[in-house]
Amino acid sequence: MHMANELLSVPVAAGTLAIAVAGLGFVCRRVRQIITSDKLALMGILGAFVFAAQMVNIQLPAMPGTSCHMVGAVLLAIILGPHAGAIVISSVVIIQCLIFQDGGLLALGCNIINMALVPSYLGYFLYKSVTAPVFSSLRVHIGAMLACVIAIEAGAILVPIEAALSGVLAVPFSTFLITMIGVHFLVGLVEGLITVAVLGYLQQLRPDVVVDFLPGKVRLSRKAVLITLVVFTIVIAAGLSLLASGMPDGLEWSYAERPDQPDFESIVSSDDSTIVAIDDFQSKYSLMPDYSIRTSRLGEAIEQEVETSAGWTSFAGVVGSAVTMAFIWLTARILRKKQPTEA
Amino acid sequence: MHHAYIDKFAYQDSPVHRLDSRVKFIVVLVFTAVVISLPRTSPGILAWYAVGPFTILVLGRIPLRFAFKHILMVSPFVLVLALSCPLYDKTPVTVAFGPFFWQTLLGWMRCFTILGKFIVTMLALIALVSTTRFSDLLTGLQKLGLPKLLIIQLGFLYRYIFVIIDRAHHILRARAGRKLRNLGFKVELKTTAAMLGSLLIRSLDTAEHINIAMQARGFNGSWRTISKLQIRCTDYIFAIVAASFLLALHFFVRPVLQ
Repeated sequence: MHMANELLSVPVAAGTLAIAVAGLGFVCRRVRQIITSDKLALMGILGAFVFAAQMVNIQLPAMPGTSCHMVGAVLLAIILGPHAGAIVISSVVIIQCLIFQDGGLLALGCNIINMALVPSYLGYFLYKSVTAPVFSSLRVHIGAMLACVIAIEAGAILVPIEAALSGVLAVPFSTFLITMIGVHFLVGLVEGLITVAVLGYLQQLRPDVVVDFLPGKVRLSRKAVLITLVVFTIVIAAGLSLLASGMPDGLEWSYAERPDQPDFESIVSSDDSTIVAIDDFQSKYSLMPDYSIRTSRLGEAIEQEVETSAGWTSFAGVVGSAVTMAFIWLTARILRKKQPTEA
Repeated sequence: MHHAYIDKFAYQDSPVHRLDSRVKFIVVLVFTAVVISLPRTSPGILAWYAVGPFTILVLGRIPLRFAFKHILMVSPFVLVLALSCPLYDKTPVTVAFGPFFWQTLLGWMRCFTILGKFIVTMLALIALVSTTRFSDLLTGLQKLGLPKLLIIQLGFLYRYIFVIIDRAHHILRARAGRKLRNLGFKVELKTTAAMLGSLLIRSLDTAEHINIAMQARGFNGSWRTISKLQIRCTDYIFAIVAASFLLALHFFVRPVLQ
């Protein structure tokens, strides 16, 4: 879900960065009020914990060979409260960008909003609104699941929206959106299950670490999971049908946009873009592509004449830059040999 | 510690390493913005923009293999998006490159531009991070106006990432040693939850110990470093060179290559 720079235009990137910085400034001020200096080390280490927790993978059922890990935003928001949780996850996203180069520098604003601010606050709010009236194991289940799925979905939905605002999408918006929703629904479900299980474990050993305690008993029981899943299916089905009626059908929309391609329907009907890619490679190499035949010879000749000169300049450009880089590299190498190497 | 530090090259010494972190950060930010705002269908021009980060990497003695390995590791998401471009943008175009020219789709040009931009901006980011110590970068960011709380948070996080990851490795190895087959989702979930829970509790204990140690040494919520940032003559030269590089590309190379 880390966005890269290339998915954004400069105005959108600047706007989201400004929003993220303002948001972080606000959150920092709130956290300063709540938290004393002896909690600072705790927040830092919980950030490191999120990194480590992402290395602990779990095998998925029904799909042997695939495994997933938790994201941790909602769990931290439940444990630390939303403000501190948002700061911790934001710092994780920043470190992922700066040290591990996951997500671009300009996209940092988007990533902070999508993965830290929105999931922390939305997740905490949902969890609280379910568990606050009466605290029970079932409510913790439903609350944590609801928080994980909806919070992660909300962040995931923002990705195509931001990309569409930037106007860089070649992929139809609805296809991208549906793919993101589908994939992150699964991610959210697993995240919810792990969050509930970890909360259950904490409840047994250290119920005091959670910011407003875990009274009662939180257990991973089959009945609770089943009821949760049923509640979920209803909520999601209702949500999806609302979404579907509000938007033009993705299939029809992209089909109508391209009347010149009758085979477009079969491509769009598959959600996964990798499958789409494979599909298209197959059809491309098995059939004679028709666009090369379409152009007439006369047109081609004219086109070539125009393009040849442009071709030479771009050739010169690329070769020139390659030569420059080689020159820099060689010079540096020669100069370096003269110096005694250290370390 | 069994794993190499991911930013081990930041602790080398070179003219680039000695530059002020603020100047480097701003230059990289501007460079990224300029590269992103380039037109979307002409990959050729990106080769010239790559010269900038390339030079810094070479001057900073960062092995290029390290940089490209890193880029490859973080590329899957972008790769999927880039490869789906040719499926949706099927306007035929003729590409000419030196003596060769061939017919292709506009989508492919977009695909290569996205990949090219990704590589160039990632090179710039790697050039920044692997020539700047993280603590210097944080001090620079604080001087640039980031909230102090966030800086402290980032400092702690960076310091303890590798410690806690080491522990996670121990736990993972223990699981791998005991678990010889797939145990079914429910047991797997329980095991994972126990692993995460115990990791969390150990992290909390560690945090408490660290807090006590830091209180004993007089930590009161502010961060003091001995590294003094100051903008020197070389920093001005670097900023001017970078600016003239970008301006020259903008005014002389871009009109020719498009």
